[in-house]
Amino acid sequence: MKQPIRLIDAGRIPYLESQTIYHAVAYAMTPETPDTAILVRPDTPYVCVGFHQETEREVDLDYCREHRIPVTRREVGGGAVLLDDRQIFTQWVFHPEHVPMKVVDRFRWHAAPIMATYGDFGVEANFRPINDIHVKGKKIGGMGAAAIGNAEVVVSSLMLDFDTRTMARVLKVPNEKFRDKVFQGLENYMTTLARELGQVPDPEEVKRRYIAHLEKLLQRPVEEGELTVGEKAMLSALNERFSTREWLFQKGGLVRDAVKIHAGVWVGETAYKAPGGLIRITLRIRENTIDDLAISGDFTFYPQHQLAAFEAHLRGKSLEPAALRNTIEQFYTAAKVQTPGIEVEHWLTVFGQLLDAVAKHS
Amino acid sequence: MSDVGIVRGCKIPRDLYYSVEDHTWVRTNADGTVTVGMTDVAQNLAGPVLHAKVKKVGLTRAKGKPIGTVESAKWVGPIKTPVSGEIVAVNEKLADDPQLLNRDPYGDGWVVKMKPTDWDAEVKALVTGEEAVQKYKEKVEREDIKACDHIE
Repeated sequence: MKQPIRLIDAGRIPYLESQTIYHAVAYAMTPETPDTAILVRPDTPYVCVGFHQETEREVDLDYCREHRIPVTRREVGGGAVLLDDRQIFTQWVFHPEHVPMKVVDRFRWHAAPIMATYGDFGVEANFRPINDIHVKGKKIGGMGAAAIGNAEVVVSSLMLDFDTRTMARVLKVPNEKFRDKVFQGLENYMTTLARELGQVPDPEEVKRRYIAHLEKLLQRPVEEGELTVGEKAMLSALNERFSTREWLFQKGGLVRDAVKIHAGVWVGETAYKAPGGLIRITLRIRENTIDDLAISGDFTFYPQHQLAAFEAHLRGKSLEPAALRNTIEQFYTAAKVQTPGIEVEHWLTVFGQLLDAVAKHS
Repeated sequence: MSDVGIVRGCKIPRDLYYSVEDHTWVRTNADGTVTVGMTDVAQNLAGPVLHAKVKKVGLTRAKGKPIGTVESAKWVGPIKTPVSGEIVAVNEKLADDPQLLNRDPYGDGWVVKMKPTDWDAEVKALVTGEEAVQKYKEKVEREDIKACDHIE
């Protein structure tokens, strides 16, 4: 007889508890604790930063304060995200010996019942390593993993709908141009059940189907359960700890100089001081090509109106250094532009810096 | 016999003590302190480390408690100390270059130095020499841990 999985369907609960609940189950885990799957929705929108991030650096705290969007931190890695009740969070808290050893396999394993649930609604989803779920090339969700207490935790969500505008707004970004690139990136490369279906599906129906797939795919019975007394005590303690300024503003040190839209799409910005002046590029990268970009700075580009043409010429082109060199040289030859103190090498350096920033995080 | 055992490409130096379950190693130093770090197998499981945060000097930690946390592309987890004691030094270089944990897990990628409080008793739970290599071999095979990649 296979050990049952305890299902805790926590419903819509205060935002903080939608984070602390799985931490509490993990920290309170004893050898007797069953492997647990939690389904939960926060009752208000909030921003959640990754374990090692610095909140002030990642989140536009003034905006969040003005719009009463609370901010908290999780003990799972990754970047800042906007969470609300249009996502049903799937949080698995398992004994280490019951999860796949390799993290990427763990993500594939966690994604399976989510993808099967989408399939029931006619939405064909696939796993995109390391930790994304995609529908026709668009991201419908990501996953995170952590060792917390004696447990291994994997979290994700069933994406009913998503507020891309607010997501792009709550992030701290260098300028509005960058923000627009993030927003357009989210619009173009993210999807949700609502977008695919033309309407938001009933959350209860989504949950019912998910639970059935969970049981079938993990080949273990799923039994509804509740938090134990010990887990509830841990939950209260964590609610307190996660509410402190020390917890929210602890110095993380993990700097993300590029924002991930999905596994193949990033927005980054970098500046480079060339002999002819400062070059600043905001770039959206898709599968190693220039998806969109904006160039600014204090260098001379003559004739000036050709800068827009240069941007247009670069869109859709490969970022592979040799190919990019050709692309840039072609433009210089054809458009007869003059950029004193800025050579092809300097452009390649700026793009190289952006690629390095992305490579570090992918 | 070589000084370094190899298990699926992962290095297991025979002169160190190991907590195989927690993937940590301990080196005894002449001044009575011990150096603690993550094993080659651990860095391989974690993948390229993006960030490492190490506890502070002066902190006393019981065996099994975290002396730091690491974040790789997609996983966050603690480094658990295999011995109880006071942290007397931390590897400051990890803040700027966390991938030292990947490149040189037994050398420049050390995590903390500790003054152990119960070494004589706690060393009995650790393994060293050929026994460590064998124990790691069993674990790697039992859990089908992938072969080590070494990033330069």
